[in-house]
Amino acid sequence: MKSRFLLIPAYALVVAAPVQATVYMSVEQAQAQMFPGATLTPDFVTLTPEQVKAIEKASDVNVLSPNLKAWRVSTGGWFIADQVVGKHEFIPFALALDDKGAVKSVEILEYRETYGDQVRNAAWRAQFTGKTHAAPLKLGTDIQNISGATLSSRHITDGVKRLLATYDLVLSKQPG
Amino acid sequence: MTSSCPSSRVERARPLLGTTVKVLVQGMDAPRAHAAIDKAFAQVERVHALMSFHEPASDLSRLHRAPLGERVTVDAMTVEVLEEARQLAEMSGGVFDITIGGQLVRDGLLPSPQGACPPDPSAYWKDIELLETQVCLHRPLWMDLGGIAKGYAVDCAVHALKEHGVTHGVVNAGGDLRFIGTGPHQVAIDTMLPDRANIPALEVGEVAVATSTPRARAAHAAIPHRDALHRLPVGGDLLATVVAPRCVHADALTKVVLALGTQSDAMLRHYDAEAYLQSPAGEWTCIGQVIS
Repeated sequence: MKSRFLLIPAYALVVAAPVQATVYMSVEQAQAQMFPGATLTPDFVTLTPEQVKAIEKASDVNVLSPNLKAWRVSTGGWFIADQVVGKHEFIPFALALDDKGAVKSVEILEYRETYGDQVRNAAWRAQFTGKTHAAPLKLGTDIQNISGATLSSRHITDGVKRLLATYDLVLSKQPG
Repeated sequence: MTSSCPSSRVERARPLLGTTVKVLVQGMDAPRAHAAIDKAFAQVERVHALMSFHEPASDLSRLHRAPLGERVTVDAMTVEVLEEARQLAEMSGGVFDITIGGQLVRDGLLPSPQGACPPDPSAYWKDIELLETQVCLHRPLWMDLGGIAKGYAVDCAVHALKEHGVTHGVVNAGGDLRFIGTGPHQVAIDTMLPDRANIPALEVGEVAVATSTPRARAAHAAIPHRDALHRLPVGGDLLATVVAPRCVHADALTKVVLALGTQSDAMLRHYDAEAYLQSPAGEWTCIGQVIS
């Protein structure tokens, strides 16, 4: 077992991926992946203030937007594209429900790493722009892997909880 | 360095194990990569379902509810994790002990399991008897696999990817990760310390890397890491990163390193692992490394 320990000057990571968003999937890719071979028909809903209130009461999670992007799946079930507020940024995610309204799978569509306050801070980064060539270490273009203490995914779990309440109170009652 | 990594890449992320689990596959066409990633996530989901403290149907919850002394049949995966935990407990002299569940519930870090008898405060790892496919508790106790199951899930996901022909990739479960492919791979360590001029990073081969620190919880009174032998929160303001062939060991050993510091040297060597321990002042100590 051999590992090499490096202390990289922070400015060498100016262009590094850790401060940028990683796009995992588009909504269309997620649809194809979560419901292979199925046809998805948009059934977008604008929630009424009463529905928002009922969802918040049932899930104990705040509703960010009354606009619900839901698709009806030809083979049964629903696909919902939504987002939650993470530590700093919005996290778009997709939820697949089966024909009984149970969670089939959740895919995170886009994620912004939050590596160290100084690196995250755009103003701080800007002062070092163009200095990457001075980096004493020949690294790859970036370091995409980060080992750190576990950050909770509770905001996504809460988002799923809110959408399950939305299904229960709204989508399941939509005329097909 | 980048030339060893094929250019095509498929990366996905799902919320599992209480964190974000990311799987990256390189050098494989997209349909095959997605199929392999599906299998990898399925393995993580399985570990989650079997070993969750919260899910009433998990093997762990079934064990907590079972009458004392009863042999409970559990999944082979659960037996494997419990056996790893037993070895780690034995070798660390009880510093690593999964029976800290009761204490974590008392400190408000875990919810009280439904229908389980209250834990005996003197119960410890030797009260868990492992049979081939069965587990028997000899004193009422609550197990928490939070310090080991995440690493185990990463290993299972990596096996699934390899079985599906993946030769370049990584599985990262909220900071505990394992690479496929000889690399070299770079991993930045998130120390959670602000205002540092340097970012610590590791260059590694086909290995696992895990990091633990109580720093994330600094604002709260309760710290999840325990020196189980003394039943005390450990780590102060330390951070431990462990590199090991398997993620289950890297994950678990971070807690041993936080508790024992340089005294974890022999244990790290046993697991062919090495550790980087950061002091509150930001200084680094390498443990378990052969200085050449």
